[in-house]
Amino acid sequence: MLRQIRHLPISRPFPQFLPKRSLSASQLCSEKALPPRLKLSNADITTSYLKGTGPGGQKINKTNSAVQLIHKPTGIVVKSQATRSRSQNEKIARQLLADKVEQLLKGDESRVTLKAERKRKKKASRVKKSRRKYRELEAKGAQKGEEEEEREDLRDEEGEKRGE
Amino acid sequence: MPRIPTRTILKAYQHDPLLPLLLRECRSLESAKNELRWLRERALHMVRPASGGERAVTKYPVFGWRGLLRSMCLTRSRGMPLQYILGDQPFGDLDIKCARGVLIPRHETETITIHAANFILDRMLEDQNGNKGEKASLHILDLCTGTGCISLLLHALLSPVFPCLSIVGVDIDDAAIRVARENTERNVRLGLLSKRALSEVSFRRGDVLQCVRSRAAPEDMANIIGPSLHALWSSRCDVIISNPPYVSPAEYHDGTTSRSVRIFEPRRALVPTVNSVLAPVNDNDVQVGDLFYDRIAVLMSRLDAKLAVLECGSRLQAVRVATLCRDVLGRYDRTGKAIVDVWPVTDVDPAAHAVFIQRTRSQ
Repeated sequence: MLRQIRHLPISRPFPQFLPKRSLSASQLCSEKALPPRLKLSNADITTSYLKGTGPGGQKINKTNSAVQLIHKPTGIVVKSQATRSRSQNEKIARQLLADKVEQLLKGDESRVTLKAERKRKKKASRVKKSRRKYRELEAKGAQKGEEEEEREDLRDEEGEKRGE
Repeated sequence: MPRIPTRTILKAYQHDPLLPLLLRECRSLESAKNELRWLRERALHMVRPASGGERAVTKYPVFGWRGLLRSMCLTRSRGMPLQYILGDQPFGDLDIKCARGVLIPRHETETITIHAANFILDRMLEDQNGNKGEKASLHILDLCTGTGCISLLLHALLSPVFPCLSIVGVDIDDAAIRVARENTERNVRLGLLSKRALSEVSFRRGDVLQCVRSRAAPEDMANIIGPSLHALWSSRCDVIISNPPYVSPAEYHDGTTSRSVRIFEPRRALVPTVNSVLAPVNDNDVQVGDLFYDRIAVLMSRLDAKLAVLECGSRLQAVRVATLCRDVLGRYDRTGKAIVDVWPVTDVDPAAHAVFIQRTRSQ
């Protein structure tokens, strides 16, 4: 919410008392919108419904609803059989196909790569943070341990002295 | 039916202990996995309904979703169609309720219906270029409607373009009519159909074979669509679409019709029921399979329909039906010209075909 307020024009009277920097610790890069999804033209796509050969229609009741799309210019093939509905499967397959084609065309600039990159960065930062935390804990633990050892050593020395 | 290799069964068991049950009916690992996923999703949904939803009413005893899933898989392994177990089938963007005694909508029918809708839209655009505003309304007759899937999908696809639609679905079976009406309400409730469908799509009981028997009667139309609509349509019907029973008695018994279909789906929806009073029982098996097409062709010429879309079981049957329709239309009116097209639904040859009959009036 604070971030939203920060983006309001400064000329507005009420947010002036707020600090100009963001209070949240999250990265600002996540605010940047992803590039829009690629729109594929219908003429480039061959749709086929996959099923076994043999008689169809009323004689057999098939539950196979798989849809396969082929993007003719690039030759990319995708298949979806996620749901029982063919129209739903077609929508899913179209999305997959658009992502794949975009990745092929734009490479590192594509939506999928950008998304994966963001995810990777987030994970890396999380891992880094957790590693730092455990390193600190370990260091603390080690310090305590050393102190205790020293104390024990002292006690032993005292005992020896008494024994003499 | 080829035997399933033991290796496949073992592999299925390793994946999920319930999978070998489904393999009995599915015959392939991939489709069995799909069905198990769909069944599991449904079982979870039925036991733990989403917030606000009621617990679905089932005929299965519910002891948690695992027990439910197991009983569903057992039922499926005995050959019960998946759609009867789950109680619905997606058809286009619609969700069609299926119940025992009513034929399950097939994927081929879905493809044909979408193609027919596009065909109608294309033709309408052409007509509008010619004479504007004439095609504001459309009257569609769906014969042997079953679950009402064709009527409802056509309404969903055409209603954004046509400000006034009128679709009548006719079926001989009372249970089918009930399910079809339920489907209308269900899809409107789910928001998949516009509210217009409630008033514009109607279903009524009618016997196609009997109605068209008396060949000279002009009151056929009233018989089929009912007197009230007859007045409204003023004897004009634009499109006849039908997925009639087209399996011949021999095909029903010689193994081309699958066991599950034979045992669980209604015979009357698959094989034209020959009543000795209506049609003489003859040895010609093919004629029995094509019985409905002859009557529909007669009805088409009687109703002066501009387009008829008929689903057929195979390429051979489609060619037969095309010839038959040409004959009948040529016999009944000599003024018009009929363009008959056979449209293959898929590239696979023995799969279902559709026959498109388009009539142009020469004036």
